[in-house]
Amino acid sequence: MRAEPFQIVAEETTEAVILDVSGDFDLAVVPQMRSALEPVMHRTDKALILQLGGLTYIDSTGIGVIVSVLKLRDELKAPFYVRDIPPAIMRLFELTGISGYLSSGNGDQP
Amino acid sequence: MSGAVNLQIPAHAEYLDLVRICLYGIASKMSFAYEDIEDMKVAVSEACNNAILHGTQASGLEAIDIRYEADATGLTIEVASRGTGAALAGALSSAAPAAEGDIGGLKAGGLGLYLMQALMDEVDVRSTSVGTAVVMKKYAAMEP
Repeated sequence: MRAEPFQIVAEETTEAVILDVSGDFDLAVVPQMRSALEPVMHRTDKALILQLGGLTYIDSTGIGVIVSVLKLRDELKAPFYVRDIPPAIMRLFELTGISGYLSSGNGDQP
Repeated sequence: MSGAVNLQIPAHAEYLDLVRICLYGIASKMSFAYEDIEDMKVAVSEACNNAILHGTQASGLEAIDIRYEADATGLTIEVASRGTGAALAGALSSAAPAAEGDIGGLKAGGLGLYLMQALMDEVDVRSTSVGTAVVMKKYAAMEP
């Protein structure tokens, strides 16, 4: 095993802001994730999408960040989708009870 | 494999990956299943997160001691740090998942202890002479 470097790649389309998040999402990178989210999480003109296909690790600190975005987007009535959740990450979303609040926006479970 | 391996890290988040890498090495050598190793990676990180976030904040000087102890029954991991664990011990009995009703009821914090309990077979918070230790154990799979 090697520690996978955390990386965020942002992309903007006509309909959405997409953050592709990969590597280990732990306490050390929470500030980096917050600064990537800060300029886009309040935008109501486009959907916000987190692509997690390359995510290799997450714990309660990363889940806490996702929960805070979930709550903010709900308050703003703005779309927020989480996609390509790896099985090991999905298991933690289920254990912590947040999986039921996550939508892929594709009409199916993320 | 039996005996103990000790790792000491500065109480800073940038060292958390080392704690997981060390756990991975030991648990792999003990032939734990992939899913069990993933569980332990999260649990040991959560214990360290607590020590980093609720430590005594004397920055740069504090350390976290992680002890991995393997025996025939499983792997015991102890995460010891300075600072009081009174809040931690109290929270252990009330740890719960995030979901309660609508999104507004979701809590962004406090999931760490819950995850430790959900992912490990035993979790205990103890006071030590200098601070707090979280001791947790994952049982080895039964031989068929």
